[in-house]
Amino acid sequence: MSCGEIERLFLAGAPAEDVRRHAKGCSTCRALSADVEAAEQMSAGLATPPLPSSLRTRLIAIPRATVSCEGAERLLPLAIEKELDADDERRLASHLTRCEACSEAAAVLFESRELVEPIAPPWLASRLTAGRPRRERRFWSWILDPKAAIGLAYAAAVVVMLLGFNPADLARRVRTGEIGQNTRAAVTVAESSLSDRLGALQEKAARTLAVWKGRAGGYGRAAVSNVVSLIWKSSATKDRSGARPRNRDGRGALRERETSISNWRA
Amino acid sequence: MSAEEKSLVDRCRQGEDDAWRELVDRFGQKVYSVAYHFTLNREDAEELSQEIFLKTFENLHRYDGSFPLVAWLLSVSRNLCIDRYRRKKREKSFRFVSDDAVLPLLKSDDDPASETLKKERTKLLFWALAEIPEDLAEILVLRDLDGLAYDEIGKALGLPDGTVKSRLFRARAEVARRIRERHEKRGAAGAFQSLALAAGGVL
Repeated sequence: MSCGEIERLFLAGAPAEDVRRHAKGCSTCRALSADVEAAEQMSAGLATPPLPSSLRTRLIAIPRATVSCEGAERLLPLAIEKELDADDERRLASHLTRCEACSEAAAVLFESRELVEPIAPPWLASRLTAGRPRRERRFWSWILDPKAAIGLAYAAAVVVMLLGFNPADLARRVRTGEIGQNTRAAVTVAESSLSDRLGALQEKAARTLAVWKGRAGGYGRAAVSNVVSLIWKSSATKDRSGARPRNRDGRGALRERETSISNWRA
Repeated sequence: MSAEEKSLVDRCRQGEDDAWRELVDRFGQKVYSVAYHFTLNREDAEELSQEIFLKTFENLHRYDGSFPLVAWLLSVSRNLCIDRYRRKKREKSFRFVSDDAVLPLLKSDDDPASETLKKERTKLLFWALAEIPEDLAEILVLRDLDGLAYDEIGKALGLPDGTVKSRLFRARAEVARRIRERHEKRGAAGAFQSLALAAGGVL
C-alpha cells in the first residue's frame, strides 16, 4: 500500500468513479480495491441468525424479573421499612446483584440503620446551654415594644410641656377632621386627661413657689436682723478689753459688776 | 422516528407490558444477531442478548430520543459485546470456527455444494476478523454482518461518520490482506485467486 492516493480515494470516501479511473493505472490500488470488494462480498450473502422463541419469551418477561434503577429508587425505601411484597423483593434483589450503583446505595441505607448511637460527652449539655444564641433585637422591634412605646409617649409629653406648649392645644391644632370618629374620641379623652394633669401640675407648682417664697422672705428677714444686731454689739463693746481678770490659781475671776452665785443667793 | 421511539421508551418506563413486548419484537432480532456475530455461539448469544435487554431496561430513563434506539441499545451494551468478543478471542473460538457455529448464518435455499463453499468462506471471514484490531472488526460486524447504517454505527460507537467509513474500509482491506497472507503461507496457487475463491467468485 504505497500509493499516495489511497488516503483520498478510499479512506476519505471519494466517488466510486474516481476510484475505478485511478485503479486502471495503479496496480496497488487495483489490488486493494479488489481485496476490499472481496471482503465485502464475503459477508454480503450471510443470513441473519433467527431469534429463538424461548429467548423472546425470556426477554418479554424481563420487567417481571427485575426493576430499573428508577424502580429501585422507589422500592428501596419500602425495603428498608420491610414493606415490600415477595415479588418486588425478588425483583429488587435481582437488580441489586447486577447494578453496582444501586447496590452501593442500598448497602449504605441498610447499614445506616445498624449504626450505634454515639454517646454524648458530659460537657455537651452545659456547652449547648451556654452557647445558645441570643436573639438580636432590631431597632423597630425595640421601638414597637409596648413598654418602650409607653415610655416614649410619656417622654414626648414631658418634652412638649418643657417647651412651653399645651399638649391639649396641640391636640386641638391637629387636623382631627381627617381622623376617624374613634380617633377623635380618643383625642378628646386624651385632651381632657392632659388638661386635668396640666392644671394639677400648675397648681402644685404655684403652691411650691409660694412656700419657697415665704421661706425666702423669712430667711431674708432673719438674716437682716442678725446683721444689725452684730453691728450694734460690736460698736457697744469697742472700748472694753476683752481679757477677763485672773485669780491667783490662774482661773478666770469675776468682773467688778458681776456677782457670784452665792452672792446673788445671799 | 426518534420521537416515536422515545414515546415507546416512555411507555416502557411507565410499566406498560405491551410497550416492552413491542420493543423486544422490534429490536430483539437485531440485538440477537449482533450478539451472535460477537460470540458465534447460540447459548452465549442468548445470554448476551438477555444481558443487553436487561441493561436496556435498567437504563431506559437515560434515553432522550436524540438518536435511533437501536444505536442507543448498542451503545449501552457495547462494553458487554466487546467483553464477550475479547473472551472469545482469548478462547480462540474464532480461530477454530465450527461448522455448527456458522450454520445459522447460511441461507437454507443454497444447494449443498455452494453451502459448503459458503461455510468455508464464513469460517475464513471470522478467522480474519479475530486477526484484525478490535475497533476495526467491530465496525465491520455492525456494518457488513448486521447491516447498520453509518450514522447508527457512529452513534453507537461515538464516532463521526467519516471515521466510521475510513475504519470500515481499513477493516475490509485488513481482512482481505490476512486471507491473502494465509493462503500465501499455505502455498496456495496465488493469493488473489484464493481470495476470489473465498469471496465466491465475484471478482
